[in-house]
Amino acid sequence: MPELVHLTVGGKALVVPPAITIVQAIHTAGEDLSDNVGCMGQGVCGSCRCMVVRRDSGSVTFELACETLVEDGMQVNFVDYLEPALRRQYPVDTTDDEQRRVRLDQIFPEAKHCRHCGGCDDICPRDIEVEQLVNLAVEGKFSEASRLFDYCVMCNLCTLTCPENIAPNHVGLYARRAVAATQSSSTDLRLRLGELAISASDFDPFESDHNDGSSAGSA
Amino acid sequence: MNHGIPYQAAYEAYLRAEKRQNPREIEKDSLLRAFHPDYRADARTRLKVGPNRGDECPVELAPLLQSAAIVSNRDFATAEVITTDVLVIGGGGAGCAAALSAAEHGASVILATKLKLGDSNTVMAEGGIQAAVGMDDSPRQHFQDSLKVGHYRSDRGLLAQLVSDGPAVIQWLIDLGVQFDVENDAAGKKTFRRKRGGGATVPRILSFRDFTGLEMMRVLREAVYLEPKITTWNRCPAVELLTDDDGECVGAIVYDLNAEKFVAVQATTVILATGGSGRLHLNGFPTSNHYGATADGMVLSYRVGARLREIDSFQYHPTGLAYPAYLAGMLVSEVVRSLGAKLLNGLGERFTDELLPRDLIAAAILRECAEGRGVEIEGQIGVFLDTPRLAAAKPGIFETDLISLAHATKRCAIDVRTTPLIVHPTLHYQNGGVAIDGSGRTDVAGLLCVGEVSGGVHGRNRMPGNSLLELFSFGRRAGVYASRVAGQRKVRRAGIGHIDRWHKELASAGLPLDLKGPALFPSYGNVRIAGTETLADSVQVGIALANLEI
Repeated sequence: MPELVHLTVGGKALVVPPAITIVQAIHTAGEDLSDNVGCMGQGVCGSCRCMVVRRDSGSVTFELACETLVEDGMQVNFVDYLEPALRRQYPVDTTDDEQRRVRLDQIFPEAKHCRHCGGCDDICPRDIEVEQLVNLAVEGKFSEASRLFDYCVMCNLCTLTCPENIAPNHVGLYARRAVAATQSSSTDLRLRLGELAISASDFDPFESDHNDGSSAGSA
Repeated sequence: MNHGIPYQAAYEAYLRAEKRQNPREIEKDSLLRAFHPDYRADARTRLKVGPNRGDECPVELAPLLQSAAIVSNRDFATAEVITTDVLVIGGGGAGCAAALSAAEHGASVILATKLKLGDSNTVMAEGGIQAAVGMDDSPRQHFQDSLKVGHYRSDRGLLAQLVSDGPAVIQWLIDLGVQFDVENDAAGKKTFRRKRGGGATVPRILSFRDFTGLEMMRVLREAVYLEPKITTWNRCPAVELLTDDDGECVGAIVYDLNAEKFVAVQATTVILATGGSGRLHLNGFPTSNHYGATADGMVLSYRVGARLREIDSFQYHPTGLAYPAYLAGMLVSEVVRSLGAKLLNGLGERFTDELLPRDLIAAAILRECAEGRGVEIEGQIGVFLDTPRLAAAKPGIFETDLISLAHATKRCAIDVRTTPLIVHPTLHYQNGGVAIDGSGRTDVAGLLCVGEVSGGVHGRNRMPGNSLLELFSFGRRAGVYASRVAGQRKVRRAGIGHIDRWHKELASAGLPLDLKGPALFPSYGNVRIAGTETLADSVQVGIALANLEI
């Protein structure tokens, strides 16, 4: 029998086996879990982000509970998922960086107020250079901003922590969506859509198959 | 429990396996019958009530399909009533596509989801989406490949619609702001980067690195949040459908987990986009699925009379992680094999073509494990996925293409560039589901199903990349259909009269009335709906946790 691990989650003391994740520890301890949980280990949904304090450590780190292993003496608190008060629809139809920049300033006027405190960089569980991303977008360098933002899981922690209300991850997503419009020019896709516009379907799905080896028909 | 070759001996054999022989030929039908979990004799039972009475169904799913309702007449009588044109249940790719399309065409939409918007299998999709955009390809070829992979059991009309929608779906996603990998072709023209999925005759999978689903979901989620005609309700699982006196669907009852109360939503159309059922851990398998994949939509649909199809057919993805135990079941994307990684047993031998359809590879791996040629490490059994030799052949591939994999394995201190992974099939996808037509309509008027909850497109084995395409092909069509009928269909008195009739059926078939569904959460989630008990306890606990040997 391996030595048990003692930790607290949301103030509740749990005693669990070692070598399991925080999410698995909650399950194992018989606690209910209907929130702050999602992809269960892949680390892509951002739902299980939590504050972690380790024994003998004076600092708080932000981690994903589905990919962090339990440690003795660990304290864990989930962070509520708050939606930013952000209701500004925007089109993503232009390929001109200057137009995109002007639009960014209309949608996210706070973005230019970054005070370079680094709070967003510190809090990001994916180690994204969030502050750099915001500043690149403000300068109109959307392709570079978009690339920096590749790994974001939209956990919203940077939005929660920004003293200027910038909503950095939403700025990043704006940059990505803006850049996506540029790829519409893929020639293959345009040609195929053109073909399909002329003839919606180029085959009869009910024609017999030369290789219909299956014994049973459709259910 | 099977035993395999101890890790150290297997690893030494792996190191010696420099020269790769071709795998021996297999007889496909007998391999599936002998080793695919769908064919296990003790895995199935016959349904006793409902539209599919007499059909075979997994033993873990049958009690849920034949479960009693969670809500009582009193719950319904005291529930707040809210009215909308379209009620979408589920916040993954299909639900978002349906909601966006319905709103775009003028309907008011409530999107209710069990966890929070975007929490779904969609966000976890790694490989990509199939669409016949290449000039060496055609929708017809896409159709034929898919039909064959699905063992000729797909609904041909639905499948033809799916493949024909492919290119337009890609354009729709791009217009929303989704990025795909592009490259320059031989002539220097920009074109989509395409990968070949198992069973495909040409490369047809479009992707964004190896986290295509994340790229799609974060854009869709933002688009839904920013759309004023869509109201999103997080933490509001559907627990029952509403019907009128003719048995047509006119809404649903959701349970608000924050407020701990039931809410009745009247709608001209209900679109179920609740996903699959991997968290039922069929046959005790680990799963690659999201926490919310508990078959809720199928259970609700069945209870009001919607017919299901191919519910005895599930996809076990060949390569789930087998080690370490706490990550058991986590997906290792097919892209790894698509790019050239081989599978080796504990003797260092190849035993299958790595790009066959998924059901065959999964069965081949299970055969190796069952016959003692697996790799055994700390009680876990699997086979090697030869990532080091892929890294040697394609330097830098784990920094550019296989980022998710490198990220996941870094956490468990495995460097995939030097250490082969140990993989084992993981429960991945529900091939069947609620029978639908081209707009997602079920046998029950007013009730539409889209995405994994629906059945018919994939036959008995889904082709890689067709699931993401299905979400948007059918999600958009259902949304457009729902917006069209929004002004026409008159919603009559909504009630839960079907529950009494259902409970009588259960009782006369000798089935228990104290097993309630849908399950909503996996059994180990320990979630209780106020004042009721869900079926969770009777559903098998996942192997991932059982393996912890507590």
